[in-house]
Amino acid sequence: MKLFDYARTSRVSDAVGLVAGHPGGAFIGGGTELTNLMKDGVLAPDLVVDVGALALADIGVRKGQLLIGATARMGDVAEHPVVRERFPVISEALLASASPQVRNRATIGGNLMQRTRCWYYRDVGSACNKREPGSGCPAIGGQNRWHAIHGGSDHCIAVHPSDLAVSLTALDATVLTLGPDGRRSIPIGDFYRLPGSTPDQETALRHGELITAVEIPESGPAAGSRYLKLRDRATFEFAVVSVAAALIQAGGVVTDVRLAFGGIATRPWRSAGAEEALRGHPLTQATIAAAGRALVDGAQPREHNAFKVELVQRALADILEDFGGRK
Amino acid sequence: MSPIVGSPVARIDGRAKVTGAATYTADTQVSGALYGYLVLSTIANGRITGITTQDAERSPGVVGIFTHQNMPRLAVPTSQLAAYWKRVIPLQNADIHHSGQPVAYVVAQTLEQAQHAASLVNVTYDARTPQTSLSGAMDEAYVPDPGLEGPNEVTRGDTEAGLAQADVRIDVSYTTPMHHHNALEPSATTAVWDGDRLTVHETAQGINATRLSLSEALDVPLANIRVLSPFLGGGFGAKGPVWPHTMFTAALARHLRHPVKLVLSRAQAYTSNGHRPEAHQRFRLGAKRDGTLTAIDHITTSQVSRTEDLLFNTSEPTRMLYACPNVHVAQRAVKLHLPAPSNMRSPEVVAAHGLETALDELSYELDMDPIKLRLRNYTSVNPDNGAAFGSKHLQECYRRGADAFGWSKRDPRPRSMRDGDTLIGLGMASAAHTAGGRPGAGARVVISANGKAVVQVATHDIGTGTYTVMSQVAADSLGLDLDDVDFELGDTDYPFAFVSAASATAPGVSAAVNRACTTARRSVIDIAVADPRSPLHGIPADQITVEAGILYDTDRPKLRDTIRAVVTRHGEPVEATTNPVPIPPGYTTGAVFAEVRVDPRLGQVRVTRMHGIFDAGRVLNRRTLRSQAIGGAVWAVGFTLSEHTMVDHHLGRIVNPNLSGYLVPVNADIPEIHIGFVDKPDPANREAFGARGFGETPMTGMTAAIGNAVYHATGRRIRDLPITLDKIIGDGEAG
Repeated sequence: MKLFDYARTSRVSDAVGLVAGHPGGAFIGGGTELTNLMKDGVLAPDLVVDVGALALADIGVRKGQLLIGATARMGDVAEHPVVRERFPVISEALLASASPQVRNRATIGGNLMQRTRCWYYRDVGSACNKREPGSGCPAIGGQNRWHAIHGGSDHCIAVHPSDLAVSLTALDATVLTLGPDGRRSIPIGDFYRLPGSTPDQETALRHGELITAVEIPESGPAAGSRYLKLRDRATFEFAVVSVAAALIQAGGVVTDVRLAFGGIATRPWRSAGAEEALRGHPLTQATIAAAGRALVDGAQPREHNAFKVELVQRALADILEDFGGRK
Repeated sequence: MSPIVGSPVARIDGRAKVTGAATYTADTQVSGALYGYLVLSTIANGRITGITTQDAERSPGVVGIFTHQNMPRLAVPTSQLAAYWKRVIPLQNADIHHSGQPVAYVVAQTLEQAQHAASLVNVTYDARTPQTSLSGAMDEAYVPDPGLEGPNEVTRGDTEAGLAQADVRIDVSYTTPMHHHNALEPSATTAVWDGDRLTVHETAQGINATRLSLSEALDVPLANIRVLSPFLGGGFGAKGPVWPHTMFTAALARHLRHPVKLVLSRAQAYTSNGHRPEAHQRFRLGAKRDGTLTAIDHITTSQVSRTEDLLFNTSEPTRMLYACPNVHVAQRAVKLHLPAPSNMRSPEVVAAHGLETALDELSYELDMDPIKLRLRNYTSVNPDNGAAFGSKHLQECYRRGADAFGWSKRDPRPRSMRDGDTLIGLGMASAAHTAGGRPGAGARVVISANGKAVVQVATHDIGTGTYTVMSQVAADSLGLDLDDVDFELGDTDYPFAFVSAASATAPGVSAAVNRACTTARRSVIDIAVADPRSPLHGIPADQITVEAGILYDTDRPKLRDTIRAVVTRHGEPVEATTNPVPIPPGYTTGAVFAEVRVDPRLGQVRVTRMHGIFDAGRVLNRRTLRSQAIGGAVWAVGFTLSEHTMVDHHLGRIVNPNLSGYLVPVNADIPEIHIGFVDKPDPANREAFGARGFGETPMTGMTAAIGNAVYHATGRRIRDLPITLDKIIGDGEAG
């Protein structure tokens, strides 16, 4: 590991100023991700600014919005009564993430900023366009069981790993930030970028810009939302595919629906097509199947991940049936 | 026999381990030690054309960068007891045989400095295309010369004639992936020279093998080398053989005239410690309509390295588990640009998985209960050589296991048992592994005037409970309380013991401790009855009983003395030492059962019950033995459902060398595990109280039992492990 400086402050603006002033600066929250990447040589910041002392850990509802502070711990958010009752998909996505030890340590902001689990990205002995722009992408023709069927490019097919981000994408969350140029509110749909030809630029954040909170609107669909995560062992494992679903029905038809998916795409994947196939229709086997087909329309499977095309449709059907679609 | 042996004594080192007081190898602090860190190759095939070390050398704290150009020269150890399975040593020339091969060894003042400097070493290569795909190179398979376990091709009877006589034949192939040990404790070495004498703190399952390898590699007399390994955080075979990094560390400590410490990172362990190689197995079975086997033809093809071709996926289950007159096994090798395979817990699990799955397939072809099929082909003698087993109570295991598991409630038809949309499957298999047949151990005991005994053997506690069990054996044999015995291990200054592997420690070391302690007890008795000051003076020695530190006349128990008083009057400690005696070959069997629940839509498989009944001879400690059985069952879940080392065949590089990508089971994957033992002594291991080696048996069979349960649940026979969700929802055929 390269030697680095460490700073800790209780003022948000100071933290932002410290990182903004150092081209090699980075924020650290719980440290469950950045330290691993530093030990593996994937990232080598020369200044690490600890955000643990910032007063950004509040969780609460204000004016119809759930506000989760960026330094709130994953475990605390998952167990928070308001989150559990009115935004269950967030709680379920968090409880399906990592392990209790990690959730007790890791923060919400850090979770949203975690890096892909693509093994080539994490192996400094391999090429990777995300880690080292222009070096190539061995995943496209290599071991790509974990990789994306949506949102990839000729430069990168790495999956975004956050379950939380998938749930927030379903609920139309907004990411609140403070940067050297002031405050911003970034809709989650604009927060994560597609890799295109610049897979190293993963989010809309500028250097030194810090996530301070996420804001989620209260809604009927949010109150009945659910998360389904499929993986290769029972816990402590990233999604092979996952689904966040928020849906309400009236008069026998779906009136409002938001569907987001993990494990299948280079960013948390909202499927307007799948939602469109359900909105205004009853939940039947036929409409559920149509939603699944719309979801995988345009999917680009690779040598080892073609099964995700089928599996994600089954996962979608499974979760929709829990909303009363079984006929 | 006193009740000490056989009682479920809690680990005597348990408190030290859970409080952190136990000093593991990497915890050992040697003042002034320098830190090593390896640089590994990023290509899998080719030659080093240049190494630029200037930046690394200028990095803070760096003492030296050692490459093939300036690394001290080392000789390849060749003695079998040195357990150096490779035929080459890296850092001696520019050749690259696999990705992850050491290309430089950095030494610095701190670990962090060494790691950082390692990242600054720039290596250029003349890279050639690697070949790492087993399925892509099957036509290059060959049968190597006889290896560690004998010939690689064995024929009994006439397999083709046997197949021709059969009423039912099956011809099936199975594939199993590369697996890694992933011991919790990484491999670590600290080498300290004092003049021409070398002390090495090593994570070793075989301290005597390490010592002999270092002697041969560094050309140092054996007597000048001491290897220490008091605690091991798991080995599973990774620390049984000796590996180059240990020799590098000792050589550089000599070269630099400074102690050097090296700890492998998790990723480095994936290419530095061996592994269970990827294997392809083809089974052809023939049977009469009543289930009698007429032939087994079993061809195993395993990956080996470019420089070695020792095979570890051996075929004993096919040769030994069932009575069958016509058997042919061949163990073939395919040389690939991957690290050398090596010992890994339960090497026979690969063959056992194939055989026990094939028998399940045959049971369906015959429409016969799989236990009945196994009983039909039961054997009381080793069919490989006609020799009697020391003891074998496998029939009792089937019966007790079936009762405990509720086998009779199973509807054998696939997809016949369900709970709502969830499919339920029940499967079983025989568990079996060779155990023992190794060089054994010696032992030394010293009884002091305080009435306490110290017993020493150069063996190991690899997490199995050796400290505890051998203390029990010693206390029993000496006639002392457990608290008055101190068992010491992990030091080559103690009497020899073989590598703690091959299920050989319990029988080998128990026998040695028993021999030495029985001799010492007899000495104490002889001293007592010859001593006019003893109340036992003049009584025939055979008439004296020793229990809990008290000697008494068996016929007149009120005539008594104490070990403490006898040795105190004697004026000097009472000692006994025994030499190693080979352990007879053993065969430890059992019956294992698994229940799975499968979500056929989402492909999720969960193991919901596991039962195992084993015949391990006499149970020395039910608690530690049960732990071994549980460990085997847990590993079987990983082997069957999730563990898989993946290689990028373009790069020739392992892509998941970490516990995030290599999926060992987590607690939530493991149900309650029910373990039982027959607990009858094996007369062939009388000196070991009738205990037989056990550690490698419980993983065998359970892999097939789980796979057979998945078939029963789903009607889908998945012949390519691991059984992941994509295969449950996919076509299910071997890849």
